[in-house]
Amino acid sequence: MTTSEMDFKPSPDLSMGVELELQILNSRDYNLARDAADLLKVLEMLEHPGEVKPEITESMIEINSSVHTRYDTLLVELRRIRDAVVQAATRLNLRIAGGGSHPFHKWSERRIYPTERFKYLLEVYGYLAKQFTVFGQHIHIGCPNGNEAVYLTHVFSRYIPHFIALSASSPFQQGEDTGFQSSRLNTVSAFPLSGHIPFVTTWDEFVAYFEKMRRFGIVESMKDFYWDIRPKPEFGTVEIRVLDTPLTVEHAARLAAYAQTLAHYAFTRRPLPASPDVYLVYRHNRFQACRYGLAGTFVDAYTQQQIPLQRDIINTLEVLKPHAAELGTGEALAALRAEADARRSDAAWLRDVHAELGSLNDVARRQSDEWAGRAPVPG
Amino acid sequence: MTHLEFLPQFPLPANPLALFGVLLLVGALGGELTRRVLNLPRITGYVLIGLTLGASGLNVLDAKMLAYTRVFLDVGLGLVLFELGRRLNLMWLTGDRWLLVMASAESLLSFGCMFGALVWFDIKPLHAAVAAAIGISSSPAIVMLVARELHAEGQVTERALNLVAINSVIAFVLVTMLLSWIHREYHAGVFVMVLHPAYILSVSLFAGYLASLVALGLARWFGKQAEMHIALLLAVIVVLVGAAETLKFSVLIALLAFGVLVKNLDRDHALMPVDVGRFGQIFFIVLFVATGAMLKITDLVASGAIAAIYIAARFVGKSIGVLCFAHLSGIRAGSGGLLSIALLPMSGIALAMTYSATSLYPVFAAELGALVLGAALILELAGPIAVQFALRHAGEAHE
Repeated sequence: MTTSEMDFKPSPDLSMGVELELQILNSRDYNLARDAADLLKVLEMLEHPGEVKPEITESMIEINSSVHTRYDTLLVELRRIRDAVVQAATRLNLRIAGGGSHPFHKWSERRIYPTERFKYLLEVYGYLAKQFTVFGQHIHIGCPNGNEAVYLTHVFSRYIPHFIALSASSPFQQGEDTGFQSSRLNTVSAFPLSGHIPFVTTWDEFVAYFEKMRRFGIVESMKDFYWDIRPKPEFGTVEIRVLDTPLTVEHAARLAAYAQTLAHYAFTRRPLPASPDVYLVYRHNRFQACRYGLAGTFVDAYTQQQIPLQRDIINTLEVLKPHAAELGTGEALAALRAEADARRSDAAWLRDVHAELGSLNDVARRQSDEWAGRAPVPG
Repeated sequence: MTHLEFLPQFPLPANPLALFGVLLLVGALGGELTRRVLNLPRITGYVLIGLTLGASGLNVLDAKMLAYTRVFLDVGLGLVLFELGRRLNLMWLTGDRWLLVMASAESLLSFGCMFGALVWFDIKPLHAAVAAAIGISSSPAIVMLVARELHAEGQVTERALNLVAINSVIAFVLVTMLLSWIHREYHAGVFVMVLHPAYILSVSLFAGYLASLVALGLARWFGKQAEMHIALLLAVIVVLVGAAETLKFSVLIALLAFGVLVKNLDRDHALMPVDVGRFGQIFFIVLFVATGAMLKITDLVASGAIAAIYIAARFVGKSIGVLCFAHLSGIRAGSGGLLSIALLPMSGIALAMTYSATSLYPVFAAELGALVLGAALILELAGPIAVQFALRHAGEAHE
């Protein structure tokens, strides 16, 4: 990558885009299938907005929305992409599911999707590449310039536990209850270039850091950083990557609306200066959110106080109300508020389904019913 | 000598259990050798061992010995058919109608081609029709077990299995209906002519339906315990196989119906998707060894060129049927050809149909056998290789 590719391409203020990694299930026992290539082939023949792409293993696909400034149009588009993907899957006797992890697949049975990059990743990372068959939501928020992107990245770093707890949907892995609300991020943490951005305050400083890492031969492009949040200069965005793929597109759109509203608050009010202290408490907060979700604790680096994460989220949603009114995200934030009040996440829903139906096959089946917007079959 | 009566008496009586163990071991050895030395599927090896031990070879496994293996063979076949039925997703057939069209087309076209070719070569229409009807069916056991052996998964695998299930049913129904024609030919009464196929079909379907009700009811009672569900399914399968023999209905139709219904009537998903095939492996090996032992090289010599014509016509019919609808049925370019190849194997079920269709009329049996059994021998050996080729080239094997 040349330095010019590190030029930050400005994008419309507070535009947003969503990427969702999805599970492809067979309809026999609802284990992961391996039909990504055929599914993409069928989708080429169906008309749909956005984009659908392969992911690292043949059991995954990724859907991308286009760029939106409004929550309602984003939601409409995500629903249309979802419908097209579900329709294509039905033709191939497959199902599509959301959720951050498949409840019982075995990672050793996965196969790498045959592109040069994915084969390279398998060579570099060995079994970690196959274990990376976990499913996340990425949210892009547009920034006017690189300095603002660096600032927004630092502000978002404070709120990372919010996004983890509100999206948590990977309680099961490899046939076991992990005890975590989001077990997916443990898989990500194994990668050497995971973590967070260094504490730089301007885009120039960031480019200097990147160049140094490149000269060390540790990275070749921004893609090699598996950070929780990273600036994406070619899109002109900051990309939040800690979220589990929620069980529905509706929830995914709400979380994007939350990020957009938070960015509006950060840019218009400048409530928080970028602070290195955020990174002192970062891993603690992240762990709490992964392990306990909305029931976890949260250390506020700015007030130096420990409070329940649920409280911090509710407080934030209160503060964001006027910004939500301005952006048209009020409805989305109200739904998240209800969820926070009730301490109900997708992970809790999945555990309830397991308790009710008694098998992880049933959990995976209901995950796919939920994704398709089908009423669940009783029993 | 009376004081030595505790010793075994000669000649030693054959013991079915010991025989099963020996066949299992010899089959496993032969299968593994075939894989290592010839790089062919193990199944071909099991059949080769059967041929060696059977009438065409050492004649250790003669008709009397084979009768002892019958029960294991039936259980193995029952497991395969049940698994196949359970994979037949009726929802899919409504979601992708072209698949159903493809299934009907390849069945009818292969029947047409075989019938036409045989009649062209001066085979009597009745014989040609029964032989062609038998040839519609691809081998559920071979396709299913090669797919298992390769851990194959994907569109070609799934479609091949669904097509096999459908063409097996069509073949069986057609053969049963042709039984009426045979009855007429041999001057049986009209009553028998109608009643025989009607009895087999209705009782088989009813037995499958009853079995699925029992299985679903008990599954609900057990709750979600995988081990209990496996025991339950194995029990019902074995009972059904036994009942088929006693009550003279069809194992094929009854077990397929059981598989299809237990999946498709299970509205509240009471039955867990457990893998009974894992326990079937030992029966599958003996199934193929025994099938191999039933085949005779002399049949091949007797049928000669007509076997080759039969196989060619069958392949042409199936390929046209599949290829015409492949692109409409949402699979990648090139997969259609592989799918036709995966449908090649003909199986022990063809043998069973030949025998059951004709056990009432030995003369007809001999004439029909000359047509079908040679082809069955070739395809029993080459079939697994064809399926392995197809699934590997489709990129669906996981080895």
